[in-house]
Amino acid sequence: MQENKQTAMNRRNFLRAFGGASTTAVAAAVTLTPGEAQAYDPGEEETKTRYRETEHVKAFYRVNGYETLKK
Amino acid sequence: MARMKFLCDADRCIECNACVTACKNEHDVPWGINRRRVVTINDGKPGERSVSMACMHCTDAPCAAVCPVDCFYTTADAVVLHSKDLCIGCGYCFYACPFGAPQYPRVGNFGSRGKMDKCTFCAAGPEGDSTEVEYAKYGANRLAEGKLPLCAEMCSTKSLLAGDGEIIAAIYKERVTQRGYGSGAWGWQTAYRETIDV
Repeated sequence: MQENKQTAMNRRNFLRAFGGASTTAVAAAVTLTPGEAQAYDPGEEETKTRYRETEHVKAFYRVNGYETLKK
Repeated sequence: MARMKFLCDADRCIECNACVTACKNEHDVPWGINRRRVVTINDGKPGERSVSMACMHCTDAPCAAVCPVDCFYTTADAVVLHSKDLCIGCGYCFYACPFGAPQYPRVGNFGSRGKMDKCTFCAAGPEGDSTEVEYAKYGANRLAEGKLPLCAEMCSTKSLLAGDGEIIAAIYKERVTQRGYGSGAWGWQTAYRETIDV
């Protein structure tokens, strides 16, 4: 039991001694470059109008409004 | 410019779920994902109401506002689409959406959910129109073919309307004017006597 406790302490000491030091070193090494976040720009081709009032679409409107939209 | 909108005439919806089935079939939607679903209130009781729900393609979409990778964009037709190449499956859009539209192919947190999938108003995604790649990721692009969403086109009771917002609003407005609403509607007393007051 005593041996287990000793092992746990050692592990924690190890993390404190080496883990902490290495984290600080990495943080210091990485230099963040400030810049503006860029939103996704799909371009004009992707966002262009695709809806067209074709005969197919007109038929849909006509059928759905057959009782209401008097021509 | 025409703004694409869905409008479900709740007085006409009979909860047949044909819109759900048609959508799944048209876009080859995988198991576990329903881009559209029918919600029924007071199911089985007199006065029950069903509404077919999917992405409503909001003007100021909350999903786009919370997306950490900005994968959403709005087309000139006012259809809200997203890029599955950018989506990280974080699930924020699901929490933000008031309609529960975003769906995920798997259960889990963050990346393990898989890429988000939702109704595209049959306008697919950012890939080339009607290509195989586009179909595999987003489904059919009926809008580019000069058609409207299949769910609305095949609605048997003409409950689900889709298309130019101004036109479908005019159709719905005329319907409401003619039939009245709730207890003022034609046939209401015949169907429900005087026991239901809505």
